Amino acid sequence: MADMTKPVPQLNADNRPFWEGCREHRLKIPKCSSCGYLRWPPAFLCPKCLSAENEWINACGTGRVYTYAVYHIAPYPAFKESLPYVVAMVTLEEGPRMMTNIIDCDPAGIYCEMPVEVSWDDITEEISIPRFRPLQ
Amino acid sequence: MHAVGALESGLCRYVLISYGQSARSGNSMMRMLYHMTRNDDAVYGHFGAAGGYALAARRAMHEFGTGPETWKQIAVGQRAWANRNPRAIMADQELTEESYMASKYMIEPFRLFDNCLMNDGGRAVILTSVERARDLRHPVVSIMGLGQHNPSSDLATADFLAGPTGAKRAGEAAFAMAGISRNDIDACQIYDCFTYTVEITLQDYGFFGPGEGKDWFSGGTIAPGGRMPVNTSGGQLSEAYYMGLTPLSEAVMQLMGRCGKRQLGPETSTKSPGIILCSDNGGILQAHACYILRRI
Repeated sequence: MADMTKPVPQLNADNRPFWEGCREHRLKIPKCSSCGYLRWPPAFLCPKCLSAENEWINACGTGRVYTYAVYHIAPYPAFKESLPYVVAMVTLEEGPRMMTNIIDCDPAGIYCEMPVEVSWDDITEEISIPRFRPLQ
Repeated sequence: MHAVGALESGLCRYVLISYGQSARSGNSMMRMLYHMTRNDDAVYGHFGAAGGYALAARRAMHEFGTGPETWKQIAVGQRAWANRNPRAIMADQELTEESYMASKYMIEPFRLFDNCLMNDGGRAVILTSVERARDLRHPVVSIMGLGQHNPSSDLATADFLAGPTGAKRAGEAAFAMAGISRNDIDACQIYDCFTYTVEITLQDYGFFGPGEGKDWFSGGTIAPGGRMPVNTSGGQLSEAYYMGLTPLSEAVMQLMGRCGKRQLGPETSTKSPGIILCSDNGGILQAHACYILRRI
């Protein structure tokens, strides 16, 4: 509870290709090899056809804000320094929606369906986090 | 629903549904919420139920134009009920629309008073057969209808954040089983983890169309003396948070006529209740139960 450092991705069999892609600044999402459905979050089976075969494609890195929340309190103490910060769901150009942050703009200027693009935050040599900023 | 199954099948004669938590003094609610979102979403600072419902409420603002003008009426209406309930945590604290609007943002678009309480305490309800209940000293409250619908998907694939939520199909099932319509409902006890939850639930039950809540709630519709009392104990926003037992226990108590100064009927210039509609919610609008109770 009293974590003073921000949570880092916990790699597992499902999300490892995603975070390894992030390290190379590539936004990878799983695509079902059987029916072609692009799924998020990563999972063993395709939620549409239950096939376990999938490949990872590179998303182009642009999308639109589906919805967002502006944090004025820090339930995780480590985020206190970042207040106010914005958590958002972004609908990628390719279709899936993923959780992220909106950065590099005044929270009051954000709106649903705002065009955004990925911006890489290299927090360590091993880990890069995809956040999004207004499309430039 | 499980309790009804256990009674109907003859597995037992009484079912106790209870909830108790040292949510505040033991910090257990914050711990539960912490683990709820302790996956890759936490990397972005996403937290707990408030974080998820704030995302839902913001999408609803975009899709059908709701917002604080609607939610303040829910917070203020429910507080007026709490002010008549000595057990309510907010019993002695009045809330006006001005003080609602002046309260701080927590996880925007939610202000402080859009959030439910975090408290110690407990609640319990006992279910038995109507036949057995007739021998007890309180009026009999029976279940007319039940419905459940659990969209259950991950937040990322949720298309129900701005409705229709599970409340739509759960409500339709409960009304069909009860054989009544919305016009027969005398009051509602709605799971109210956040003000928006009350709006989207009543909207999905069909009390008003998308975005019409602002007008529907105006003029004290849900408050004492209003035409559709909602969350007459103060609810989770202003009485106390006991999960689904806040709405359920209040519905039973109201139908039994055991609510003192907040009793529906002449005491509060409202209709004496014969039928009350209740809801329960799980996850981020991911699970929903609707039940309709009546006094017999």
